[in-house]
Amino acid sequence: MKIFDPHIHMTSRTTDDYAAMAQNGILAIVEPSFWLGQPRTNVGSFIDYFNSLLGWERFRASQFGIRHFCTIGLNPKEANNPKLSEEVLSLLPRYLQKDGVVAVGEIGYDDQTDAEERIFASQLELAMEMDLPVLVHTPHRDKKRGTIRSLDLIRSAGFPEERALIDHNTEETLPLVLDTGCWAGHTIYPHTKMDEVRMVKLVKEYGSERILINSAADWGISDPLKVPKTTDLMLESGITLETIRTIVWDNPAYFFSQSHRLDLAGIEARPSIDQTEFYGGSTVLRGGQTPVIET
Amino acid sequence: MIDLLTEILRARTSSPGWTWFQAACRRTAAPVDPNWLLGNYAGASVRLGKKALTLDPGETRRWNSLRPDLPIDHWGLDELGRAILLLKIFHLPPDEYFETVLECYEQGDSREQQSWLRGLNLLPGRGRFLDAAIDACRTNIVPLLEAIACENPYPAAHFPELNFNQMVLKSLFNAIRMDRILGLESRFNSELSRMADDYASEREAAGRDVPPDIWWVVAPRITPDRIGRIYPYLQQGNSRYRYWAARSLGYARDERSRLELEQRRGIESEDRVLAAIDASLAKMVQ
Repeated sequence: MKIFDPHIHMTSRTTDDYAAMAQNGILAIVEPSFWLGQPRTNVGSFIDYFNSLLGWERFRASQFGIRHFCTIGLNPKEANNPKLSEEVLSLLPRYLQKDGVVAVGEIGYDDQTDAEERIFASQLELAMEMDLPVLVHTPHRDKKRGTIRSLDLIRSAGFPEERALIDHNTEETLPLVLDTGCWAGHTIYPHTKMDEVRMVKLVKEYGSERILINSAADWGISDPLKVPKTTDLMLESGITLETIRTIVWDNPAYFFSQSHRLDLAGIEARPSIDQTEFYGGSTVLRGGQTPVIET
Repeated sequence: MIDLLTEILRARTSSPGWTWFQAACRRTAAPVDPNWLLGNYAGASVRLGKKALTLDPGETRRWNSLRPDLPIDHWGLDELGRAILLLKIFHLPPDEYFETVLECYEQGDSREQQSWLRGLNLLPGRGRFLDAAIDACRTNIVPLLEAIACENPYPAAHFPELNFNQMVLKSLFNAIRMDRILGLESRFNSELSRMADDYASEREAAGRDVPPDIWWVVAPRITPDRIGRIYPYLQQGNSRYRYWAARSLGYARDERSRLELEQRRGIESEDRVLAAIDASLAKMVQ
């Protein structure tokens, strides 16, 4: 089965992860920009980070036959830094027009402060101007309220709901999102957010329309194979192949194709691998390793 | 105050460590070289060690007469040394002082940042550092979160309600005991009660454990129609749940809650829980 992981932070992962993901059917991924586990202290760190998402990381993925897209935005945690937030916002018009940037994100609420709301709103505006979808992070704390506030802000901004993906849903927030025209992402984590068994239950109850799943694997305890693992459990639990395919391929592919920078037909086939390639003089190979070359 | 702190540090520091610290203090005189200050601020862990202060009874008495609101028993030697260094640069012009102190936080590793969040309580004009203290709550490093949220009077004294509530919620997420948050009772509010209640519902809907002491935060401002959701926790196998449910129900004023507590008292076997039930029943009568 072809799999699209619509939310995974590959800069934190190893080449072993890429190899395992490719082996388990993952053909395409979206890497949202987020924070790095600790706050950045100057705007240059954002510039280098955005460049690495668009450059080295995309190349690294390609060396394992995986198509790498990304989203660019100012995350809600760092939106609270007044020194940085304005500088980062002013960079966005430059980055959002780059090829392979398929949404503005992750944006949204974390502590649900006024600063977060202001920056969330201005990035919604920017997304409309750039004709891009948005990837919305919902907060860990006070999640239900944060989700309702996000949906309200999207509506009041006049942002087209079919182009908003609300992420990290739970049993309590999914029905709220489905009541709007927005899409609903679910992060399958080893201990928090959502797990495979609960996800199967949700799919049985709500079906596949506008529903996505992701691993969000990053530097925390997480698992880049959570989407294929959930796919397996859905199959074992009697969910139809068609439903599963909609959730793990058609929905994410369609959603991000609304950026006009992801060719639906073009991503169907796995790109061929040529590990003799270099990126800016760098290769994923180390001395003595045999490159994989497919024609 | 600085004399007593210096005396406490000296009594616990080896001779090479003390020699280093005296040199570091000399460099706090004008003109202050920020690179030396940041370097010495960082170096305190290696030079002074991280052993907890653990004051003797005499020191405890003297400290409490100065700052009864600020426990320092758990501070490491390095943390005390760092706090003294920051106190000693107060002679700088106000903006330079503010920037320099802030840099010690921003450029610090997590131990330096922990020390800073504790030492903050000693600094004159500490309200100016509010943004950094709030930002510290966004960390995913639990010891760093604990440095601001636990055994620290700063948040209750300075945080706006929204940020205080977020800190409490984050502490619940990280299984931090609520009785470690100083001044929590003085900051109870309806929004916090609702947020914690929603969090309990989210955990219940996901089939996961709820922190046993969450009701301590929920109950004080709970709406009367929701008090009943605490009752099942009075019957839990784990006595921590029963203890905190019993204590929290002391905030209720309705007949049903009183009956629930009395029924539990009839079958409860643990002294700690019985004491909590009695205290809550007494509170209800008042």
